[in-house]
Amino acid sequence: MNDSPAIETIGLTKKFGDFTAVDDVSLHIERGEIVGFLGPNGAGKSTTIKSILDLIRPTSGRCEVLGMDSRRDAVEIRRHLGFLPADLALYPNLTGHQTIEFLGNLRGGVDWTWVGSLAERFDADLSKKVAEYSSGNRQKIGLIQAFMHRPTVVILDEPIAGLDPLVQLEFHSLMRKYVQQGNTIFLSSHTISEVERVADRVAFIRRGHLIAVERMSELQDKALRRITLEFAQPVPPSIFDEVEGVHEVTATGATITAQYEGTMTPLLQVATAHDVVSISSASVDLDQIFLEFYRDEVEAVEAVEAANEPDREEAVRDEAGSGEVT
Amino acid sequence: MLHSLYLKTVRDRWLSASVGVASLFLVAWMGLWAYAGMGDEALKFIATMPPAYKSLTGTTADAGVAGLMLGQMFNFLGPFVIAGIGISMGAGAIAGEESRRTMSVLSSVPRSRSGLLASKGLAIATIVTLSSAVASLSYLLGVAIVGEDIRSLDLVAGTAHLTAVALFYATVAFAIGAATGLKGLASGVATGYLVLSFLAVGFLPLFSGWESVAKFFPWYVLNGSQPLVDGIVWAQIAILLSLTAVLAFGAWWGINRRDLREGESRAPVVIRLKSNPRFAVISARLSGAGSARSIVAKTLSDVRAVTIIAGGGLFLLLVVMGPMFTAMADSLGNIVDAMPQALLAMVGFADYSSPTGWYHGEALSVTAPVAISVVTIAAGMALAREEANRTIAILLSAPISRYAVAWRKAAVLALLATLMGVVVFGGIAVGNLIAGLGMDYSHIATAGLLSIGLGCVLGAVAFLAGALSGKTSIAMGSATGVAILGWGINSFVAVNPDLEGYARLSPFYYYANNFPLENGLIWWHLVVLIGAAAVLVSGGVWGYARRDLRG
Repeated sequence: MNDSPAIETIGLTKKFGDFTAVDDVSLHIERGEIVGFLGPNGAGKSTTIKSILDLIRPTSGRCEVLGMDSRRDAVEIRRHLGFLPADLALYPNLTGHQTIEFLGNLRGGVDWTWVGSLAERFDADLSKKVAEYSSGNRQKIGLIQAFMHRPTVVILDEPIAGLDPLVQLEFHSLMRKYVQQGNTIFLSSHTISEVERVADRVAFIRRGHLIAVERMSELQDKALRRITLEFAQPVPPSIFDEVEGVHEVTATGATITAQYEGTMTPLLQVATAHDVVSISSASVDLDQIFLEFYRDEVEAVEAVEAANEPDREEAVRDEAGSGEVT
Repeated sequence: MLHSLYLKTVRDRWLSASVGVASLFLVAWMGLWAYAGMGDEALKFIATMPPAYKSLTGTTADAGVAGLMLGQMFNFLGPFVIAGIGISMGAGAIAGEESRRTMSVLSSVPRSRSGLLASKGLAIATIVTLSSAVASLSYLLGVAIVGEDIRSLDLVAGTAHLTAVALFYATVAFAIGAATGLKGLASGVATGYLVLSFLAVGFLPLFSGWESVAKFFPWYVLNGSQPLVDGIVWAQIAILLSLTAVLAFGAWWGINRRDLREGESRAPVVIRLKSNPRFAVISARLSGAGSARSIVAKTLSDVRAVTIIAGGGLFLLLVVMGPMFTAMADSLGNIVDAMPQALLAMVGFADYSSPTGWYHGEALSVTAPVAISVVTIAAGMALAREEANRTIAILLSAPISRYAVAWRKAAVLALLATLMGVVVFGGIAVGNLIAGLGMDYSHIATAGLLSIGLGCVLGAVAFLAGALSGKTSIAMGSATGVAILGWGINSFVAVNPDLEGYARLSPFYYYANNFPLENGLIWWHLVVLIGAAAVLVSGGVWGYARRDLRG
């Protein structure tokens, strides 16, 4: 096998009628890393994954896995690829073991000792019919089949849905060990803490556009941090209005809290013009970064809430006036 | 909420019901057109019809060709289609919500299960009644288009009887679905009962002393009392509606006394039955352990139950028809002797006094095609079912191409069509052997071969539609539509020699028009059927490999 990237999309665009689900997405995933894929619902995550898997065809652009074209070399790619779809559906009339056996027979070269160890690791009971499994147990079957042939590249779409915390821990441990062997995992998830815990890099997609691909460590370094400044006397928050990289400034008495990105120097220059009593700073977690990337969406939600607020207040007043409780 | 649920259920079903009614109209119109085109020739035949036949079809000589055609619509095709719509709705009403996992949302609103059941029940009654009424009105349109006169026929009575019968069978499915939560069981039992009733009412009167037993089957209400001729028989309607009410009560009792399910998990009743060793063996062999060996084996195991029931049932029927013919030869001779051969040929029936005609008319004309199409359409839908069930993503994560998946599914279709052809050959051959009927085995083999061809074509229509759309509803609707229209074209249009060219558009023409048991094989008929199936399947594979997959 050559040394080409594990997954690469080049100008990937997918339209459904007039709607552009994915627009000119170019993503480059190297071997031996876990890349998280984050975005709100409808951002284009599943469309991108389906294009890589050749379940749907790009309107323009292309996808490559291990240097092979996703459409022309679809069958060869699947020899080296493991996949867990979101909202997993399996054959209800097969047992867990039969499901693994069926998919194993189709692909060949399955190491059944490895399958046994995966089942043991996830505490999966393979004897029941799929129809009788809970969603978590069905997800375990999905995880086993995704890893059963020791694929070079694994694409996981919402892998921990339905799994209990213990199995989640075991699964995260498996992922870390698996990429240490030179394999690659592309992890689409809504669970930001999961991505934060295991991913080496994170790709953010919004409204079909890839807006950022960052190394997790660099993202945390350069991304927003929260600072709390305690002054001897209250100071107006507006003193930070013009300071580059400073957001979300709020004042409570003599304490100012703000978020900042990049270097702290400009902020400190403005702050130390006043009598600063104490300073504390902390990293912002990925949740905050995510919200920062999707600021427009967050602001839209907040605008709707603000618009509804007078109505709600009015309703509360009316209720209080009528004395009725509904 | 109940009003909303009622409206949603009606909205969900109106389109498929409309397609069914439109199919009925097309068949009726084609038949009326063909008969009317024959002019006095057809009327002369009808005037010479024996009372037995007119009684069976519920028509009169006064009603002319329109009466003959409408007899077919009210006593045969119409009840099957409209009761089929009702059964589909009834089975899916409660059990369908459970299997789609929507029941938990429905039951979280502050409304009782009884209210939920009532909304669904009313929606079923609405669709069945409207379908029946609109179909009858469409027949009037067909009659007007061809300029016939039906003043002597009581269409209101025919519609009332048909509606009552369809409501009854729909409620059978409704009650079983509500009481068990098993959609497959509900539709299977209700459909089986419908077909059994049809066969019983058709066959039992032919046996001396068994005539009155036919009255215990609801189908008897359709043509036993000849509502088209004699008007509404209120007693029969009242009895049937009372039984329907009892079944509706059973549905209410059942749903209020069991745990509701979510998703595909087994119902408690099945778990209890499976704990019984005898039932467990039967159940495992029927629906059974799915095969994990390959896509072909897995797909075969998916349709095992329907294949065993339809194929086994057809085989048994074909076998017992041999001795049955021997036992009834005398009475059949009396009935058929009174009927002009030309008329029998015209309405698609062969000479019942001969074993070949008996098998052709009673098995190969309707029952065998229904059994064959049930199996092969189910097989043809298998490709689309992977998308509908969203298992295609996991299947295509294996290193196998879309072409390979599609061709393997097509191979299953061919295998099952062949199996049904073998069933047709085997059943008739065994019946022939044990009753010593003396039919030519090469001609029986021809019927088997043409059955394979018919099964391949109907299954291939489902395959093509499913492969291009990824929707099982479109696959089933297309294949069922082609089956009904094809049967209608061949049965009714072909009777007019001037219109016989149109009949060649129907696969049924190549399957049955040459009376294979009597006349053997016209080789190119088989070539047309297999060739058409090959073209349809190839088109399906081609389209499947080029489109975005669903799910």
